[in-house]
Parts: sequence; structure tokens; C-alpha cells
Amino acid sequence: MHHIRYFLAVSETLNLTKAAERCHVAQPALSRAIQALESELGGELLRRERALSHLTELGQRMLPMLRQCYETAHAAKMVAASIKNREAAPLSIAVSHTVALNRFTTMLRELSRAFPSLQLKMHRGSGSEIAEFLKSGTVELAIAGPLGETWSRLDELPLFEEPFGFVVSRTHRLADRNEVEFKDLAHEKLVINTGCEMVEELKACLEANGILDTATHQVATQEDVLALLKAGLGVAIIPVGAVEANGICRIPLKQLNLVRKVSVYTVAGRHRAIACATLFNTLRAADWGFDTGTKQQRRAYR
Amino acid sequence: MTESKLTDLLEEAFVRCRNLEVPLADRLQAFANEVRGLGPHFQTAVDALVSRLAQSNAGASAPKVGEPMPAFLLPDEQGRLVRLEDFLDDGPVALAFNRGHWCPYCRINIDALARAEEEVGAEHRHIVAIVPDRQRFAMWLKSDAKAPFPILTDIDNGYAMTLGLAIYVGDELKQMMVSSGSDPAVSQGTDNWMLPIPATFIVGTDGIVRGRFVEPDYRTRMAIEDMLAALRSAT
Repeated sequence: MHHIRYFLAVSETLNLTKAAERCHVAQPALSRAIQALESELGGELLRRERALSHLTELGQRMLPMLRQCYETAHAAKMVAASIKNREAAPLSIAVSHTVALNRFTTMLRELSRAFPSLQLKMHRGSGSEIAEFLKSGTVELAIAGPLGETWSRLDELPLFEEPFGFVVSRTHRLADRNEVEFKDLAHEKLVINTGCEMVEELKACLEANGILDTATHQVATQEDVLALLKAGLGVAIIPVGAVEANGICRIPLKQLNLVRKVSVYTVAGRHRAIACATLFNTLRAADWGFDTGTKQQRRAYR
Repeated sequence: MTESKLTDLLEEAFVRCRNLEVPLADRLQAFANEVRGLGPHFQTAVDALVSRLAQSNAGASAPKVGEPMPAFLLPDEQGRLVRLEDFLDDGPVALAFNRGHWCPYCRINIDALARAEEEVGAEHRHIVAIVPDRQRFAMWLKSDAKAPFPILTDIDNGYAMTLGLAIYVGDELKQMMVSSGSDPAVSQGTDNWMLPIPATFIVGTDGIVRGRFVEPDYRTRMAIEDMLAALRSAT
């Protein structure tokens, strides 16, 4: 594993002497380790020049995957050590207003079982608030729909896809229908959550189906959408995972074909504490019942 | 040969070899022979990988007999987070690193391990498999072999890498694996093309390694008799 650490140091300094200093190792030892890594990977990673080494094509190509593996391996070591020492395990995460927590509660329970000293700080927010939480370091990890954020240090790993569904209060005149069409909504007010990551896509979908902007109420959280629905102020189109409130029901809406991707977000190059590293791996390992339909996938279902 | 035809041929060969009533080594050998029969080019690439790994001493730094087995915290196929200690609380354990649900050698190996677990489970000696595959695929592997033991997910081969067991497949073999229907990128959830060197460690309740088998040639696995002997002599 130290082979990779040395290689990562060289890739950052592009100087064998400096890399050796950074890793607190003699330069010949560093060179030998990199040679060993090259022989293991089956090709040269570095063009060695005294002052300025540079990565070969293979080195460039291997760099991201070696970094990813190293980070996970490093975290695995830290976690193992912390279990032994029963270290405190703070965890700050952010979850979008529009993402229902029920899909994640078993993971959080497992985490608190594995780390009895877990201290969870959970934030909720809109897409832009979540991006801010990540940038400022307020949270280490976030779960949300598309953030529409172009910050280069933001790492996104898709977890699952979730369709949008049409919802009304159980007492609404449409509540007993088996199916509705957009033309049935002509006299309805649509309650829109402007804090939803997909609000622009939703507005475009409404416009394309003849629903005017003037026929909407706009609120800032998912909770308020549901509260207004229950109070009889309108109908809504929301991610189906969020439909967990009593008194609300979902009715199939013809022509509605809006789907969003829920992802886990982290910030590249930032240290992940033990609880965060474990949650991150658990999220990635989990079976979300969604994936691209490849052969392996079909085989797994067989 | 079309992709689906090759995949089907490999699956048929796998079933034939898994069902042989012979020791694990012979079943693995039988499958290797079947693969050889399908064409020489795959064999050449595999031999190149194995000799490259042998030359670079891959896996040599993994914990040795008498050394402590590093701790882990990994999710099992149902998402429960488990630690090495949790298993050792009940008795010695054999940790078997496997490459993934797509690997016929691993499926044969897990099948043999499942039968071994039935033999020693009642003696408070257990088997735990570790793969880089995500839960759905770990679950598939478990039900494929009706394995009574947990199959843990080692995302990105993170734990395997701390043991010096993670290797890069190599560009040539990567192409061939994709075209034969064995794409670990899907089941691992990452396309870094790293795999663990198949290895088995027998760990005593004191956390010390009591038996060890590390073999860069993935077609060879620890003999079940050797594993059982080490498990039974461990305390």
C-alpha cells in the first residue's frame, strides 16, 4: 500500500526528492517501491528526470483509480484502528428536503451499532444549500438529487433513480380516480417546491403539458407542499420517495415521465472521518434495486 | 464466437465442473481445461497476468502465520456492518478472499466452502467470504452456492489493499473479460479494474493468523482439507 502512497506523492510533486521527503523515506527506497508498483501494474508509470519527473500515459490513466483505492484502503485502516480504540465518531451529513430518510435509516442504525460513540449531525436543505454545506465543510457527505453544481471538487456517485408522481390529499375530488391526465388538472393549482433540485425540469414538464405558471403555488420545502395539499390548496408532482405522509395519495398521471437520480456527494481530496468513510462505503455497497440493465445485472436477478 | 454464445459455453462448463464429486483442486483444474478448450488467446493473457504477478511478488506482503490479522468493518450481503472480532467471539474463522460473482473459479470455490461450513459450523469454527462485489451480487453468489456463511463487500478492494492483495487486471485481460461477459465494473460499482488475489487466512480467536494461502494464480485455491485442518487446530 505504501507503494501507492509514494506514487501519489510523486504525481503531486513531480520530483522524486521532494516526494521522498514528503513520505519521510529515503529516495532510493521510494524509487524501488515505485519500480515494484510498475512491475505489478505491468508498465512504466514515470519518466524519471532529475528535477522534473512526469507521468507516462499509463501513469496518467492509473492515477485516479490508484488514488480512489488508496483513499478507501486508508479509510479502512483508520476505521479498524478506531474500532479498537473506541474513538469518538462525529458525522455531519446533509440530506435534501426532497429525499425521504426512510431509505437510509437502516444504514444509520447499522452505523450507530458499529460506532456506539457516533454523534450524528444531520442538515436538511435545498440543492443550493446542500452544495454550500459541502463547500464550506459544514458536512462531509450529502445525499440529494442533481445539484446542478459545476464545482470541480464535487464527487457524485449515483445511488438510485426515483420517478416523480402525482399526489393529492385523500379528500381531494381526484383522490378516487385510477388515473388522471394533464387536462384533468386544468382547474387545479399545482403546489411547487422551489427548493427541489429538479424544479426547472418540473416547470418545463408542466409548461409542455399546458399548465400555466399562474396556476401554481410556490413553497420552499417538501414539508410545506404536503401541508398545503392536506389543507386543500392544490395538487403536486413530487419524487415518489417523499410520499410518506398520512392523508396523501398518489395517482398515476398519464404523460408524466419525470425521473431523478439520487446521489451521494463528497468533496474530493478532503479527509473523511471514520463514520463518514463507513457510511460512504455502506451507501455504495447497498442494493438500491436500481442499476443500468447490464448482463451481470440480469444474471444477478436470475 | 458471439458474446452470448461464449457466456453460455462458460456457464455450461461451470455447471459441469461445479457438480463433479472430486476435490476442489480437481474441479478448478477441470474448469481451467474447459477454458483452454475454448481457445488459446484467453489462456495466453491469463498466463501473462499470473507471471507478471509472480514476478512482482504480488501478495507476498499479506499477513503471515503468527502475525495479527488486521481488523475490518465491512457490510455483509444484507447490509449489516460486521467486524472481524464479531466472528472471532464465536471461534476461529477462515477468511476467504474471492474475486466476484462473475468468476467461475470463485463460484466453484464458494460452493466447496459452503460444504465445508456445513461440516465445521457446529464446532464453532466458521468461514467468511470477502468480495469486492456490492451486496446484490454478494447475495447472488451466496444463493448460487447456498452458502450458509456471510459474504462481505469490500468496496474498492480497500481492505484487500491494506493487506497487499489488490491487483490491477491489466489492459489486455480487461478487454477479454468484458467480451466474455465478466465485467466486474458493474458488480463493484467502480471501473478501476482492481481485483483481490484469491487468498485464505485462518485466524485464531486471539486474532493471530494460523493458516495462510495466497496465490496470484486465481485458478488455484486453498485445498479444503488444508483449510479444515488449520481451522480445527486453531483455538
